[in-house]
Amino acid sequence: MSFLYTDEQRQIGESARRRLASSYSAETLKRLLDDPGRCDESYWRVCQEMGWPAMAIPEDYGGLGLGLIEMTIVAEAAGRVACGAPYLLTSYAAAQAILLAGDLSVKAAVVPRLASGEQIGTIAFAEDANPISLRPTIVFDGQTITGTKRGVLGGSRADLAVALAVRDSRLALVLVDLTGQGVSRGFLDTFDNSRNMADLTFTNAAALPLDETDALSTAWSVLDRAAVVLAAEELGGADACMELARDYANTRQAFGQPIGKFQAIKHKIAEMYVANQIARANCLESALRFDRSLPASTPLAAAARISGICAYDFASRESMQTFGGLGVTWESDLHLHLRRARSCASVLGSRFIWEDRLVAALEAEL
Amino acid sequence: MTAVLLTELEAYRSTARAWLESNADRYGAAARKGLSERDDLELGRRWLALKYDSGYSGISWPRQFGGEGLSALHQAVFAEEELPFGFPTQYFQISLGQPVPIMMHYAPAEVIRQFVVPALRGEQIWCQLFSEPAAGSDLAGLRTRATRHGDEWIISGQKLWTSWAQYSDLAVIIARNDPGLPKHRGLTYFWLDMRTPGITVRPVKLADGSADVNEVFLDEVRVPDSQRLGKVGDGFAVAMHTLVIERYAAGADETGYGPELGSFLRLAREARLGSGRALDDGRVRASVAEAYRLQQALMTVRSKAFLEAANGSEPGPEGAIHKLVSVRSRQKLSELAVDLLGPEAARIPDATAKSDWIASWLAAPTGRIAGGTDEILLNTIAEKILGLPQDYRPDKGIPFDSIR
Repeated sequence: MSFLYTDEQRQIGESARRRLASSYSAETLKRLLDDPGRCDESYWRVCQEMGWPAMAIPEDYGGLGLGLIEMTIVAEAAGRVACGAPYLLTSYAAAQAILLAGDLSVKAAVVPRLASGEQIGTIAFAEDANPISLRPTIVFDGQTITGTKRGVLGGSRADLAVALAVRDSRLALVLVDLTGQGVSRGFLDTFDNSRNMADLTFTNAAALPLDETDALSTAWSVLDRAAVVLAAEELGGADACMELARDYANTRQAFGQPIGKFQAIKHKIAEMYVANQIARANCLESALRFDRSLPASTPLAAAARISGICAYDFASRESMQTFGGLGVTWESDLHLHLRRARSCASVLGSRFIWEDRLVAALEAEL
Repeated sequence: MTAVLLTELEAYRSTARAWLESNADRYGAAARKGLSERDDLELGRRWLALKYDSGYSGISWPRQFGGEGLSALHQAVFAEEELPFGFPTQYFQISLGQPVPIMMHYAPAEVIRQFVVPALRGEQIWCQLFSEPAAGSDLAGLRTRATRHGDEWIISGQKLWTSWAQYSDLAVIIARNDPGLPKHRGLTYFWLDMRTPGITVRPVKLADGSADVNEVFLDEVRVPDSQRLGKVGDGFAVAMHTLVIERYAAGADETGYGPELGSFLRLAREARLGSGRALDDGRVRASVAEAYRLQQALMTVRSKAFLEAANGSEPGPEGAIHKLVSVRSRQKLSELAVDLLGPEAARIPDATAKSDWIASWLAAPTGRIAGGTDEILLNTIAEKILGLPQDYRPDKGIPFDSIR
């Protein structure tokens, strides 16, 4: 299929890159590494000011009526600067879940507040390394939920969550106000603290049912879309690493020549370019398939997700190698990307999960 | 404008597909099964003649020379549709892909008129005498000499890896006219008749048992100066022009010219690992996912280049990854397919790399070398796209005859 960016889409990308480059601060990110439970508030203000949380939300609900393609454009720009909060992703996922499963009154009440960025949303489908727990320990009694969700992305700061719970042995997607009674947050001190992970413990916390008939497939639909946004963020980070390595290889001299003249270095950087182009193509194509309701969006979302993981892992790991000793210092910004690459790889399901999802989708078509 | 063009291209695609389907039984993969190479080549010639008569050859070439005068996009659409049927076109791929287009670019009009139609109809085949035993990736290191005697050149030397030279009637050749100059200069490009006295063709059997390529010996072969293409000393630039066309043409198949991924999936569904299906094994699933994501990405890169061309803009540089990624991936997937075949894997392949995993695996190393090795492609990406420095080249700027 494929498509070419419109002038408007190109503009969204350019203004995002410009705005983020001017507000990026590696020092802020490094400070956050020592400070669990806090996020880069200035980054989130930029997101709100630029209208990014509203982008993929229909105009009827206070959004801009754009799509996943535009989300990936901004996510890529945010990934380039290892953005200091996951809310663009988590709020998007929460909004999609509500849009897919909520009734009119819930959508009208909640989605506009996510669109304006006044509220931050997240999803809590997982209870372990699986992105969706098939037997959640969280119990929904029709009005409240009780139990613990571990390691919720953005959980330390989000205002609401769409959680997967169980009611009378059936899966249910419910909406929970995280600022209400019966919710406690245990901040996790992680190697990538600005992603604001937290354990959320619910004790008879008020919850609204969103989907009690097809919760599993709704959850997967949300994850598929979120995986594409995350892949775009990974791509942005991978491109930033590749460019840092390239620029360094062009200037650093050793054995009487720039190290970029040695094929061991030069081919490594060319391989980063290759991996990034693969990720870029799959992000582009999967976003297009969702936006235009074309077939094979699921295996392509998985392809984008796996390609994003591979590209970011490779570029972050090997850009450090290219920098040598300088690359492994706290001073260098590369460890921010190394951390982010791994934290991206391990949330919303690892590559193993997405490989299985991809092959299952192909098998169904055989 | 773009929308109109795209609609027209889709209409062209469906007409072409219908026509191809109507001829699949007589000329496609099934019709070729069990044929000797000679008979297959003859079937190929008949297929090309039919294509010519039906207006499906030289699609993007000028009408004045016998082409159809349509766009390169029409040509790409037709090639895309033709590929899956497995028609016997391989003998003519180089011929129509590089030498004849180069002739159209550099030869005088009357010469072009004489040769284009016979080549399109498959009556004549062209090869390109480029690589040599000591000049592969480093083409400019070639040693075949061209010495001028009045209005004639006398060419002597040895070429290697020349595809289909054994069936070729004509050839383009690059030879060294001045060894006193640095290696990239001092090369000149010609065309010649393969029946000229002094030419000996000997097929080279490859690791997979095939013999598409040849060594070609040239012993004082006389070529008139009127058969020179480009200026004396400009041969390398003309050759580079050819290779650009070749790299583009070689990258059209996301499977890396191996079998389709669906065929691997079916194999993995049938094959057993322990007490379960191979397809349920995580390692097998990871390999399928890997091949899928690479092939899909290449498809997207290609469609995007297509749209960019339709839009009148220059396609992005990412097309350069196509051959590198597709053939590497095909090699790995073919190895695993052979593993899954079990005892069946020991048999001698009786089909082509496009339809048989064993044949695909055996021929994959060739794919990673021919038309630009992986290493040269990585250099190209690093230097041309990313702006990294050229490798250390001790022979740079030194007269060819002084290089040790």
